[in-house]
Amino acid sequence: MVGPAATLTPLARADGSASYQCPSTGSNILGSVNAPVELPGRRDALKPEEATVEVFVKPGTAPAGVGERYVEGIIKGVLGRLILGRERGYPRRGVVVTLATVGGDSVGRGDSYLTLLPALLHTALLALLSASVPLSMTFSATVLAVSDSGEIIREPSTEQAAAAKSLHVLAFSSKGHLLLNESQGAFDFETWEKVHQRALAICHGTSAIGSDGDVAMVEDVDGQPLEGTIRETIEDQVHRDYAWKIDAV
Amino acid sequence: MNKEAPLSITERDFILNALREDVRLDGREADQLRPLKVSFGEEYGHVKVQLGRTSLIVRISAEVTKPHDDRPFDGLFTIAMELTAMGSPAWDNGRQGDLETYVTNVLDRVVRHSNALDTESLCILKGVSCWSIRADVHVTDYDGNLIDAACIGIMAGLQHFRRQDAVVKDGQVIVYGLDERVPVALNITHKPLSVTFHTFDEGKRVIIDATRKEEQASEADVVIGINNAGDVCFVSKFSGSPVDAMVFVDKTSVALEKVKEINAIIDKALQADLSKRAKNGMAEQSRAENDR
Repeated sequence: MVGPAATLTPLARADGSASYQCPSTGSNILGSVNAPVELPGRRDALKPEEATVEVFVKPGTAPAGVGERYVEGIIKGVLGRLILGRERGYPRRGVVVTLATVGGDSVGRGDSYLTLLPALLHTALLALLSASVPLSMTFSATVLAVSDSGEIIREPSTEQAAAAKSLHVLAFSSKGHLLLNESQGAFDFETWEKVHQRALAICHGTSAIGSDGDVAMVEDVDGQPLEGTIRETIEDQVHRDYAWKIDAV
Repeated sequence: MNKEAPLSITERDFILNALREDVRLDGREADQLRPLKVSFGEEYGHVKVQLGRTSLIVRISAEVTKPHDDRPFDGLFTIAMELTAMGSPAWDNGRQGDLETYVTNVLDRVVRHSNALDTESLCILKGVSCWSIRADVHVTDYDGNLIDAACIGIMAGLQHFRRQDAVVKDGQVIVYGLDERVPVALNITHKPLSVTFHTFDEGKRVIIDATRKEEQASEADVVIGINNAGDVCFVSKFSGSPVDAMVFVDKTSVALEKVKEINAIIDKALQADLSKRAKNGMAEQSRAENDR
C-alpha cells in the first residue's frame, strides 16, 4: 500500500503549514497554523493559564455546515491535549489551525466526516510541527470500516464507507497509547477489539503487539506504519532546514 | 483585527520616493505584472494561480438544483470566497472583513454580472431542474492584488471545467457519470478579466498588480474589468483619494493589453493540460472520427 504524501511549509505567510495527500481517498488537505496570535475580545471565554486552540475546517466545494463544526470539535479536543499551551509565550494567546480540502472529493451534505478525519488530523499535526508549536507528543490516526460480512477495510472509499456497517477512527500517540476513538454505526466489543488491533498495526506496525506469525502478515498488507511515515516527513524537513549546520560539522 | 499591520512611516516614504523615481521594490515597470503561473489539478475545474507571492486555488463544482421561481430558464452561478487565516495571519476565521466583501463584490460584477458564463445554457428542464455552478476560491497566500488573481483563477477554472452530461427522457432528468459520457464544457460567452491599478501622488503615479506593501502605501485603487475584444464591463473606484478621469481613459488601453497577455497565458496552460488529458482520456476513445 502506498503511504500518504506530505509536504511541510508550502505556504509563505502562515507561521506553519502542511499539505497532505491521502492515497486511498484521494483527498488533498492544506493546513495552516498561526501561533501564537492575539485573540481579540474573547478574553472571558479562555482559560487564563493556557493557550486557546481554534480549529477551522473549510470544505472544498460547498459552504461549511454542521459536519465541519462537528469535526472541528473532535480535532480541537485532540490538539488541545497535544499542544503545550502553558509554555512561555502561549498562555492567553491563540493557536489557529485552518484546514481546507483543496483537492479530491469533499464530504457531501449529511455524509460521515470520519473518512476524512485522519487526513485532517495528520495535516494539523504536520502544520503544528512546521510552525514549531511546542507539543507533548505526536500521533498517527487511521480510519477503518467494517463491512456487512465483518471484513475490516482500511481507509475506505466514499462508497465503501456508505455501505459499511460501522466506521471507526482511532488515533495513537507516538508511544502507542490510544488518543482518539470515534465510532459510528452498530458494532460489538469483539469487533472493536479487532478494529483496535488492526489500527494499532497500521499506525505502529506489529512490533507494538509482538511478533505473532498471523499479525506479521497484516503488516505486509499495510506496508510501512503510519507513525514512521509522519516521522520520515519531519526528519526530511529537519534535515533540509539544518543542512547548513550539518554541512558545517 | 481583520486588518494587516500598517506600514511604518519610513517604509511608506521609501516606497513612495522610489516610485517617484520610477522604481518599484521588486524592480518591475509601472505596468508590468508579477510572474503569473496557472496550473491545473487532476479534476476538472481545479486551478492553482500563482501571481508573484500571491497564490490561490479555485475549485469549480456543479450540482443539479431547482432554478429560481422568477427565472425558470436560468441556471445558477455563485462565487464563494471566504478569507481564512491561511492566506494571511491578519484574517480571522469565520468573520467577514472589509476586504472579503469588497473582493467578492468586484468578482461578482466582473465575472457574474458580465454574463461570462451563459447561465441559460445551464437549464436542464424549465422551472424544474438546472445546473448550479459554484466557484470556490481558497486563498493560500496573500501578497496583494487578490482581485486580479481570483479573477484569473475563476475564468481559467470555468474554461477548464467539464460538467456531467444530463439529458431529459420522458420528463425525467438523467445525469450521466463522468465515465459514462464525455463531460460537457461550460458555455463561456466572453473572457473578462479585471486589472487593478493603484494610484499615488494624487493620481499622478499609477501602477498595476501592486504587492501588499504597495497596496498599503497607495492612495486609491481603480479596477477595470475588460475582455479580449476591448469591451469594458466594469469600472470602479470605491474609496480613497480622487483620481483624474483621464487615468481611466488612459489605463483602459493598458488594461486591454494586460488582459490579452493574461488570457494568452491561460489559453496556453489550458491547451497544454487538455492535450495531456486527451492522451489518456475518454474523449479520444469516443471520437467518431478516424485517423487516416
